[in-house]
Amino acid sequence: MDIPSVIQSIEASAPGEWLRSSVKAMPIVESLHVLAAATVFGTIFIVDLRLLGLPDTRRPVTRVTGEMLRFTWGAFVIAAIAGALMFTANAHTYYGNTAFRLKMLALLGAGVNMAIFHLFTLRSVGRWDQGTPTPLGARLAGAISICLWVSVVCFARWIGFTKGYDFKIPADSHINFQF
Amino acid sequence: MHGFADWLQGTALSNTIQSVSWVIPLLQSIHILMIGVVFVSALMIALRVLGRMRVDEPFDAVWRRFAPWMWTGLVVMAVTGLTLVVGEPVREFTALSFWLKMLLLIVGVTGTALYGRRLRAYVLMAPAQFPRSARVASVGLITLWLAVIFLGRAIAYDKEVWASLSLHA
Repeated sequence: MDIPSVIQSIEASAPGEWLRSSVKAMPIVESLHVLAAATVFGTIFIVDLRLLGLPDTRRPVTRVTGEMLRFTWGAFVIAAIAGALMFTANAHTYYGNTAFRLKMLALLGAGVNMAIFHLFTLRSVGRWDQGTPTPLGARLAGAISICLWVSVVCFARWIGFTKGYDFKIPADSHINFQF
Repeated sequence: MHGFADWLQGTALSNTIQSVSWVIPLLQSIHILMIGVVFVSALMIALRVLGRMRVDEPFDAVWRRFAPWMWTGLVVMAVTGLTLVVGEPVREFTALSFWLKMLLLIVGVTGTALYGRRLRAYVLMAPAQFPRSARVASVGLITLWLAVIFLGRAIAYDKEVWASLSLHA
């Protein structure tokens, strides 16, 4: 099965059909996506700042990551599900959209950055967990993470201005506002 | 209100915001990033009151760690939000969600300021568990911020969300 036909079958799927035909589904799914994405950014930002030694190094890095990452992952799962639903409604438009592709690339980069940090940098955390400046690797991971997540949000918002479709209801149409 | 929105939309400043293609997406992106900062900061403070976060730190330390980020984030959101209103006044003023959002925002900001002052004073006097009212207020404020965030996104979908209540002509 080639990519265009996969995209086509995603778009023809039941969730895709539901999102296109329901008047209220899209605003609810989009709101959830924004809320969850903002929570991902806000919680990971606290971890990234701690990796940069901000606001100070009193709270152990392991404690900050431990208490924040459950929120990050929980919110990420919600954002991913809501995002996947939005994708199904207009799969081919998203697939061909440059901002969408850049967003996916930035997401992938954020994932790779996190994996490298967890697999390698975090091994020596015992030496810099609390009260000492974090090593260069940790500071780089934090700075790169902030840049990539800011990019993810900017590219994501950019999709809304370049996607080339409009969900607006024509002024003179009569629509049943039930789900 | 329509007349004012039309006038504002016709001003030179509004035209500049509308005509430079990257201004509105950029402002909206900053606005969303700040939602993350403000909402998560408020969540950390509320969860501390509920005994679910940073219980090893005194409430005052948690407040001093997150409140400045929350207030700064709110100021940035006010600036980007206001610029967006100047750029697209008709879109905002004709959305019921916009007015409800502004109303809840006033309640939220006032509520948070009072809440912070009361709780800090309370903790300094008696470092015991928070009273029920403080825990109810924490849940209430987080619910309020959630509503503000939903209403923000709903501005783009006023007719879809509010049907006949929508202010759209």
